[in-house]
Amino acid sequence: MASSVHEFDPRQMALHPEDYFRREYVWQLPVRITHWVNATCLIVLFLTGLYISHPLLAPSGEAVRNFVMGRVRQIHFCAAMIFTVSFLLRIYWFWMGNAYSRSGFPYVWRPGWWKDLFRQATDYLRLERGHVHLGHNSLGGVAYTMFVILLGWCQIFTGMAMYSESNPGGFLNRVFGWVLPLLGGSFQTRMWHHTFAWGFVVFAILHVYIILYDSTQYGNGLITSIISGYKFYQKGDFKED
Amino acid sequence: MESLLRKTTTYDVLREHGIDRRRFVKFCTMMAAALGLEATVVPQIVEALETKPRLPVIWLHGLECTCCSESFIRSSHPIAQDVVLNMISLDYDDTLQAAAGFQVEEIRKRIMKEYAGQYVLAVEGNAPTADGGVYCTVGGETFLSILEETAENAKAVIAWGSCASNGCVQAAKPNPTGAKPVRKLISHKAIVNVPGCPPIAEVMTGVLTYILTFGALPELDRYGRPKMFYGQRIHDKCYRRPFFDAGQFVESWDDDGAKKGWCLYKMGCRGPTTYNSCPTFKWNNGVSYPIGSGHGCIGCSEDNFWDNGPFYERLTSIPVPGIESTPNEVGAVVAGAAAVGVGLHFVSTEIRRATQKEKAPEKEGR
Repeated sequence: MASSVHEFDPRQMALHPEDYFRREYVWQLPVRITHWVNATCLIVLFLTGLYISHPLLAPSGEAVRNFVMGRVRQIHFCAAMIFTVSFLLRIYWFWMGNAYSRSGFPYVWRPGWWKDLFRQATDYLRLERGHVHLGHNSLGGVAYTMFVILLGWCQIFTGMAMYSESNPGGFLNRVFGWVLPLLGGSFQTRMWHHTFAWGFVVFAILHVYIILYDSTQYGNGLITSIISGYKFYQKGDFKED
Repeated sequence: MESLLRKTTTYDVLREHGIDRRRFVKFCTMMAAALGLEATVVPQIVEALETKPRLPVIWLHGLECTCCSESFIRSSHPIAQDVVLNMISLDYDDTLQAAAGFQVEEIRKRIMKEYAGQYVLAVEGNAPTADGGVYCTVGGETFLSILEETAENAKAVIAWGSCASNGCVQAAKPNPTGAKPVRKLISHKAIVNVPGCPPIAEVMTGVLTYILTFGALPELDRYGRPKMFYGQRIHDKCYRRPFFDAGQFVESWDDDGAKKGWCLYKMGCRGPTTYNSCPTFKWNNGVSYPIGSGHGCIGCSEDNFWDNGPFYERLTSIPVPGIESTPNEVGAVVAGAAAVGVGLHFVSTEIRRATQKEKAPEKEGR
């Protein structure tokens, strides 16, 4: 056969993986760590956020013996601080990391980015294996930029502004307090913070599905790559990242 | 006719009204405490009220309900309402003064001329701007033009109440008269916003005392409100806060929690998002305030408070035209749409895989 692309045959692949796969170190340690820290924080933030906005299960007894809302808020704020640090570290690694740490980012002035965006979208819609990426493709880049970077900034700014309200004139209040009048007051800021939070739910659904899809479609070990850092590609795949 | 501005001091007027020095000093001490100032400032207040000529004030009424005036004349802590009314030289207030008609407008014009740059303009209510401002006219002139004219030579502008500070009810959607708060109409003057519907009487007198004593405006926050009265949230000073932290909330108006005085957060209380002094000064001579009476705060001193409804719910609808849904409804729809899209993609992938399997023997033969 002229083409070196092998047919997808799980049995053969399992017996002689070296004939079929190549391995590449894609996700560096800071990328993997921030990924899991962000994921954990977002789950904690969303669940505690739901409680804060709509507290359920009132404890009985004297108020002095209970601290449910206080504790949930404390966890929410701690997770928010950890998320913020992790978020900033990931942004730092955007420049400092390998090429994959920047892959897919919407460089809208580059025609190649747009080309890849449409190609990836049609690949997904036509359910084809398509071409292989080792980093993020353009479509993934759009999703991460919109749902993680942009939403992350929105949540950090609105959240920090609301958190700073308990200490008017304090450091955080001076840094983030301008957000409150910008969004039409403290009440509206809460409304937006709550609305944006749903964006992470949408993102989680799309992200987890596309990871599972991609992983089975490409056989690239995508799921384990965020633990080990290594991604696989089939021998003969055009490596373009 | 008596001179418009008897250049007597506040202290002289108080003595005329039979208030002795002891009570006067007590008043000064109380004012210092209310303003959040330390004890060493008390002599400064005493001296200011003894020596400085009273502050000429023009009090305008635009689109409003007069609740600010009602609140103001019930000020209790600064001794009594006659003291309050005499502390400043309230030279023009078309609601309170005896004169009427042309006489009144004549007085306003004279103050503006004789005390140019010295008088304080207090505005109650706001000005409609639609159709040339015809929806509020006083003596044949639009309130908009009166406001701009009077503000021209004012030393400072005090925006009384939520109407003047934020727009309040008449500027709520859809705002047919185009009502705008003072800060959006006057740009070249120092403006103190004293929001509230109405503002607390002691807050109003406190602001005036500060201006009189120090000859300057109090320190203002981002919204132009005096920090001393609007620096903290109701929530952070609320006596029901322990129930909030404990997670004990009133679920309906007649439940056990309501009887026990639990937190009104779930009943839509705006305490966590409202900056005011209600828990500190309370109302009606310090008798109570809304939360103390078992009703949540409606956030009357906040911007857009009328549009942040309903008052008994924690989340408002998203202010995007055409979307009359709460964040949770929007979130559920968008997340649902994402899940459906993912589901469709998954199903079609599986169908494709199943149909490909049927062709598999052909491939093997190749």
